[in-house]
Amino acid sequence: MNETPHFPEPAPPVGRRRDIASERPVTPPAVQSEAKGRSGWVKLPSREETVVAIVAVVFLVGFPWCNPGYRFLSLAITTGFTSIALYGLGLQFGQAGIMSVGHAAFLGIGAYTAAIMAGRFGLGFWVALPFSALFSAVIAGLIGLPSLRVGGQHYIIITFCFCALLNIALTNGGSFTGAATGLDVGSIDPIFGINFDQLRNAYYLVVAVLLISLLVTYLITNSSYGRTLRAIRENEALARAVGINTGLHKIGALMVSGAFAGVAGVLQAYYLRHISPALYGPFPSLYLALMVMLGGARLLYGPLAGAIIVSFLPEILKLDPIDSRIAYGVGLLVVILLLPGGVSAGLLDIYRWLLSKRRR
Amino acid sequence: MEIFIQQLVNSLSVASVTILIGIGITLIFGLAGIVNFAHGEFLMVGGMITWFLVTSGLNFFLALVGAMIFVGVLGFIAERGLFRFTLEQPMNGFIMSIGVSVILQHVVIRVFNEVQKTIPDPIGKVWVVGGIDIIAMRAIVVLLTAVVVATTYFGISRSRYGIALRASIADQDTAALMGIPVRRYVTGVFVYGSVLAGLGGALMIALFPITPFTGSVVIIRGFAVSLIGGLGNVGGAVAGGLILGLVDGLSAGYGSPEWTDAYSLVVMIVILIVRPQGLLGGTLGPRAT
Repeated sequence: MNETPHFPEPAPPVGRRRDIASERPVTPPAVQSEAKGRSGWVKLPSREETVVAIVAVVFLVGFPWCNPGYRFLSLAITTGFTSIALYGLGLQFGQAGIMSVGHAAFLGIGAYTAAIMAGRFGLGFWVALPFSALFSAVIAGLIGLPSLRVGGQHYIIITFCFCALLNIALTNGGSFTGAATGLDVGSIDPIFGINFDQLRNAYYLVVAVLLISLLVTYLITNSSYGRTLRAIRENEALARAVGINTGLHKIGALMVSGAFAGVAGVLQAYYLRHISPALYGPFPSLYLALMVMLGGARLLYGPLAGAIIVSFLPEILKLDPIDSRIAYGVGLLVVILLLPGGVSAGLLDIYRWLLSKRRR
Repeated sequence: MEIFIQQLVNSLSVASVTILIGIGITLIFGLAGIVNFAHGEFLMVGGMITWFLVTSGLNFFLALVGAMIFVGVLGFIAERGLFRFTLEQPMNGFIMSIGVSVILQHVVIRVFNEVQKTIPDPIGKVWVVGGIDIIAMRAIVVLLTAVVVATTYFGISRSRYGIALRASIADQDTAALMGIPVRRYVTGVFVYGSVLAGLGGALMIALFPITPFTGSVVIIRGFAVSLIGGLGNVGGAVAGGLILGLVDGLSAGYGSPEWTDAYSLVVMIVILIVRPQGLLGGTLGPRAT
């Protein structure tokens, strides 16, 4: 009954609405055949992609040199670890087509794993990082099991339930999870003599992890694995018919996504120094979903753009939290109705349009 | 035993509100094909409007009608202005409804504030039946819910409008060819569900305090009810609401109350995995074939 977890893309509807499917740059035939010829290899970045990548790296690395001040630098750190989690969500939604509105739960699992490891066993940040990533990935895989059976909105609702359930469990966890007040976390152990108590060093740590997750996302999207995931997204029944083990790959994508969220959770725990269940409830999850939709899940810089817009715009426009949340909501509606690929796809469209005008 | 019956009676009124929201969701999700995550916020807005009207000196029952109309109009605007454009892509509609819920919640905080609101018991009478205290307002809540359930059930299964509605769910194109205005029915179902949310909100604030964040708690229960019973199945929503309401009420009285919310979540997850079509069977939601 529910072979396709999402809905057949309908014929282009009347008017200006477009499918989300019109996202990825249509690769020229030459490149396409090249990619087909050596499937399993990663497609090399085009000249434009290289330029954008260099700009992005320079921007991220150079940000502290622009004298942002304490407020903006700490905001940038928050944006950083949020976007790491968003890359996971972007991968599972944008590539494999499995949306989640309970993604903060996996951040929570990462953060609590790190906090409990630090509090109970005295294991610091560097041990907790891989372990939390692994643990979050395993849990994400387990939570993903129902996605094999139920598709579409049913699975989304399951993720939401799981998130709410985890929140209740953390709140009722007694001294093990610190109940509603949460747990305290120490500081990151210095490595190579770098003291991460300094905000700028913490920023570079987050940026380093962010760049790694960008790279991983790029590699996955442009490899044969990414194509497999997109095949599942577009037509799961067909993907299965051509011999793709859809269940395995869906769980795989969810686990990678969970690992990203786990890493983000550890970074968040060690940055905030204190975690509580409220950070990982349904609301933060909804905001994660919102950010990824706003930025666009399918393009490489979409999640980053979403996180930056949501974190920095209210600060720049000097909105108070309530107004800024109303603004997010309105922004989300506008994006879905007018620009279903998110802001990043909109920018790409504008760029292509300018390019085609120049060529003419 | 008397305490048990007391608990049972109390749970019944809690279940009633849950049933109202569950029917709204089951109709909108199962029949109109829209996953409205903002439905809980619609209920919360209904409660807030009731609170506002009652504190400005209006009679509760007039305020209740006011809340129903207000939320109905809200639903009409949401359907015509937003969800109409995503009928072909329900996933986008779902995500949009998350945006709507965020907006409504914070607009309510902006207009009023985030402090919890209560109104005095509109009737303020307690009937004693066989040693059991029955708060009159709770009885009225149960009664109103029963009326709504009966109307909805017979409306869908017996009236020509209900038949036309079910026809347009079964086969949209054929129904349209037979002269059924399918889109108008979708709007109608959405507005009807919203009106029920308004009613639910008004009844809820008569029983419990409401905060702007109530909606997000209610929505989980609403989805639980509609999914347990089977989407689009009014009887299923009633059964689901009763099960959840009783589990909640009894666990509050006997089990460990801090896990109350967890039970409904667990029940829902299990049902979704084991029987995605719900206990009593229903549609699988929009185009999930």
